[in-house]
Amino acid sequence: MSDSSRVYVVDNGGQWTHRIWRVLREIGCETKIIPNTTLVKEIDAEGLVLSGGAPRIAWESPKLGNCTDYLNDFHGPILGICVGLQLMALHCGGKAGPSGVPEFGLARLRVLEEDDLFKGLPKEFLVWESHNDEVKEAPGFLVLAVSDNCGVQAVKHLRKPFYGVQFHPEVNNTEHGEKILRNFVDVIRKRQY
Amino acid sequence: MFDADRFIEAAVEQLRQRIGGNAIIGVSGGVDSTVAAVLVGKAVGKNLRCVLVDTGYMRKNEVENNQAFLDSLGLNVLVVDAKGRFYEQLRGVVDPEKKRAIIGELFIRIFEEVARKEGASFFVQGTIAPDWIESGGGLRDRIKSHHNVGGLPEKIDFEIVEPLRDLYKDEVRLVGERLGLPQEIYGRQPFPGPGLAVRILSEADPESVRIVREACAIVEEEIERAVVRGEMRRPWQYFAVLLPCKTVGVHGDVRIYGSVISVRAVESLDGMSAAYSKIPHSALEAISVRITNTLKDEVSRVVFDITNKPPGTIEYE
Repeated sequence: MSDSSRVYVVDNGGQWTHRIWRVLREIGCETKIIPNTTLVKEIDAEGLVLSGGAPRIAWESPKLGNCTDYLNDFHGPILGICVGLQLMALHCGGKAGPSGVPEFGLARLRVLEEDDLFKGLPKEFLVWESHNDEVKEAPGFLVLAVSDNCGVQAVKHLRKPFYGVQFHPEVNNTEHGEKILRNFVDVIRKRQY
Repeated sequence: MFDADRFIEAAVEQLRQRIGGNAIIGVSGGVDSTVAAVLVGKAVGKNLRCVLVDTGYMRKNEVENNQAFLDSLGLNVLVVDAKGRFYEQLRGVVDPEKKRAIIGELFIRIFEEVARKEGASFFVQGTIAPDWIESGGGLRDRIKSHHNVGGLPEKIDFEIVEPLRDLYKDEVRLVGERLGLPQEIYGRQPFPGPGLAVRILSEADPESVRIVREACAIVEEEIERAVVRGEMRRPWQYFAVLLPCKTVGVHGDVRIYGSVISVRAVESLDGMSAAYSKIPHSALEAISVRITNTLKDEVSRVVFDITNKPPGTIEYE
């Protein structure tokens, strides 16, 4: 198995964009942070992570640059984090908007489907959140995890290699966060065979 | 994994090529600036002058201790007493971002004055990743202006060099360890650049500094004692904040009306997210009793902050 997949971090202006880069680097990926205005044809990565960021999904999605192009034309797996997940759901015909109860800091995640992302992880663990918006409907996706105040904490697309999480696996206070990113990278590595 | 040895080797080589001439570095005695100073010292030797600014917002005995320590590392240290200038410029200033901007600008002006005297055209800072991430820019929202990034004026006289820019605190500590610094330096808890000024949630006047400085010293001492007693682990960061409100109390049957001190202690890896520390009540009580007794004329109440980051940041301003 190739030990250094190229996985780039698309910067949507999040506080933790650099954290994603750091964890990917620790996992052993070849990684860099790229602006969300980068053209698809300029991206020589095998997988992408769409970072979170301050833009509000309902009225600021133009600030997410070319992220929808990546969903249309990028050839490899994509993991959307926070607003990255919300855009993914919206782009695939779902709905996203202000959360009934926004979550900040600690939340308990309940895993419904282990699938790829939660392989080898417990059914419940503590994660770190920071979101005003959430996914309301995600047709075409399988919901993998929920929390008390958010019905879509993690998804996988039924046909495409799209994964999304509302919580932040890249921050150190999230339990098993590195393992979740490692599981995503494993998806990329397997496809390279 | 982060390879500190490789980082040191590459950084020293780059610094050697980049810094042609005299350089000064702003040092606080904290982990970041000390590591940066030792790194640059390795690269350019005696061409580096360390400038320790006494802002008037340092912790108890900090200026003296830091000067002695930096001297012992063989670094060339200049202490600038700027207490009066900082107090003067911050008079009447309450807005946290305004405070940070004034402090950042004054720091730079002082460094410019020193650079001119020393004939230095390079200015080194111990900026690390969270400093520029939280200072915002472009798409990224400004959470707070770190004094070494967001507080910088537009026009600056020298070239800025930031050898630790892509590192996080825990990585800087590894570099410090590999550079041979003592554990009490590379393991030191973080301390904000603007110092105690951002732990006073109103005007940062000398009297408020005296109160919060004493309260911070008590929090540090009592927590460290509890650690020695084996009651808890040392938190990532722990300090006191002077809140801008007053509450009623009673001393020997007499009404008092004094300030409130908030005790903050958090667990983190890199400061980008944090959980509040689950400090045992015995330690919290020792802190509360000592603060309300030693600062009896100023403080009538002590509270413990139970907010994670997010939503709260670690420091208050």
